Amino acid sequence: MSTKHSKAAAQYLRTPDVALHHDATFFNVRQKRDRMAQALPEWEQLREMADQIKRHTATHLDSYLEQFEREAKANGIHVHWAADADEYNSIVLDLLRTNGVKKVVKSKSMLTEECHLNSHLEAAGIDVVETDLGERILQMMALAPSHIVMPALHVHREDIGRCFREKIADYADIAKTYTGDATDENDPTLLTYIARMHLRRQFAEADCGMTGANFGIAETGEVVVCTNEGNADMSTSIPRLHIVSMGIEKLVPTVKSMGIFQRLLARCGTGQETTVYTSHFRGPRPGGEMHIVLVDNGRSSILGNAEHWQTLKCMRCGACMNTCPVYRRSAGYSYTYFIPGPIGINLGMLRDADEHYHNVSACSLCCSCDNVCPVKVDLSQQIYLWRQQLDALGHASTMKKTMSRAMALLFNRPGLYTGMLRLAPMVNWMPNAVLNAGLNPWAYGHKMMTFPKKSFHQWWKENKAGDAQNKAQD
Amino acid sequence: MTTTREKILSRLRENTSQQYEMPNLAALDAIRYADPVAEFIVKTTTTAGARLVELTEGETVGDCVKRIAGTGIVASALEGIEAQMNPDTVGDVRELMTAEVGVVEGRIGVAENACIWIPQQMREKAILFAVQHLVIVLSRTAIVNNMNEAYALISDDDSFRGKYPFGTFISGPSKTADIEGALVYGAQAARALTVILT
Repeated sequence: MSTKHSKAAAQYLRTPDVALHHDATFFNVRQKRDRMAQALPEWEQLREMADQIKRHTATHLDSYLEQFEREAKANGIHVHWAADADEYNSIVLDLLRTNGVKKVVKSKSMLTEECHLNSHLEAAGIDVVETDLGERILQMMALAPSHIVMPALHVHREDIGRCFREKIADYADIAKTYTGDATDENDPTLLTYIARMHLRRQFAEADCGMTGANFGIAETGEVVVCTNEGNADMSTSIPRLHIVSMGIEKLVPTVKSMGIFQRLLARCGTGQETTVYTSHFRGPRPGGEMHIVLVDNGRSSILGNAEHWQTLKCMRCGACMNTCPVYRRSAGYSYTYFIPGPIGINLGMLRDADEHYHNVSACSLCCSCDNVCPVKVDLSQQIYLWRQQLDALGHASTMKKTMSRAMALLFNRPGLYTGMLRLAPMVNWMPNAVLNAGLNPWAYGHKMMTFPKKSFHQWWKENKAGDAQNKAQD
Repeated sequence: MTTTREKILSRLRENTSQQYEMPNLAALDAIRYADPVAEFIVKTTTTAGARLVELTEGETVGDCVKRIAGTGIVASALEGIEAQMNPDTVGDVRELMTAEVGVVEGRIGVAENACIWIPQQMREKAILFAVQHLVIVLSRTAIVNNMNEAYALISDDDSFRGKYPFGTFISGPSKTADIEGALVYGAQAARALTVILT
């Protein structure tokens, strides 16, 4: 047990009721996704087309970006390009300073998490308010997201209630206007109402709204933002300035291709037929300004990586983590990268392998992620490839290397192998204290197996070898 | 000096090897319903969490809005609606946050998921989100089977785009399940949605 992920997961599993609840919560989302998939006869055709459109777009990305920029500019949108997180952060800060912005309302954007935008803006004295309820809860509690779509589902209502009562200055005034039953001060309906009123004040006070982009349409230069809460729409309907942060891989070629992706996103992400709002922004508010910052931050290099370029197809729906048995049982904070689960393992390695190699062991190679991914990223295959490279990267476990050498020795010498196999059942007689103690690496996280008295080879020779030969002769 | 834009584009060009073709989207065999209007009504009133009313005999849309709004402040720029606030002329957009009901017109209804396409025809799109209760007027002849059909209309016919550069699919009241997964209607935007089917 050597990786940071396995250590953190072991720690997490010390509170089994929390872990079981987490597992059940996300498996429930996975099952909702399955029901959505089964309700559409064309489901696999949609996945196939989504995969093909994304492959096509990623391998024509230069010309689609140029087209997107041209169309957006024609619509009166300002387009900026950022090579990395630093350039992105300074473009945004400059825009805010030029416009005299004091308060920003933000809808959820994994790209801003990736670039640590909030801390950069806050250091410059700008008040940044997350407006997705989950993100706002995390921001108030100074926590990082544990999931990319449902970032705060691991936080308990008692803690949220306590946090709101402490941190929301006009909590008591808001609570007085609540018309529902307020006997339980941690009731989700009450807490959502408190957040609603608190956030609506923020929308009214802000000078700038920032959103991410679920999609950018090259053909028309518009961006599409999908939410259930309507917070991206509130953020952009009141302030005059709208800044969109968009990874360059978010493009789709045409409006018609949205028909494929809109149908997949919510079904895969949360098991809904659609998000409540699917908003298309094609220009600034009347009298306002709209800016799009196109961010590379490593994406153009990923395109040149023959084994891993297909991670660029990802549309961040989160389906791979909901289905992942390791994610469900170890939760987001066990991973070293801010995006957990199968896609996060891969993106973390592409970001910094020395920093994030700890996560590649967080996979049982069950391949379930490959089968739920709406754009067919071969997630588990890619994790397997990373594992093959661990030794070259200098991060292979010494113990596992020794074991592998021993196994190679054994498997290449049939005589020795058969001899050892005959002796193996002796292990069964060793006391449990020895077998399942620290000396036996197999026993970390597994119960030691019981060796059968007779090996399969031996059983086959005695019972089936003759049959097989007879069959072959027929 | 090479700009960041040039650097990104040239790196993309260098790193592109095999290029893939765009699939033929017309080949998709998307779901169709025997009665799309009936499907739309079911989806709107169940999974989407919205209400749906049909005009009673001799009733106008204006009457129907009055029936829904009661004494609350109505915001609308539609003809034939008695409104106290107008999103085309409102002085401060934040006033729309105080309206009880906002009335707008939907252009496409989608049977598979209860989405309604609303191109922005009014100056302030805040009417769609900031009011307490959104009312969307939709013709039953505007209902299509699925999102592919809806996007084909928007793509091929400019009359489905609004006067302003924004449009949105709305399928119900604002909602969230961010607190322990408990579904609550009335997150930050409109707390209720009523569809008037004409």
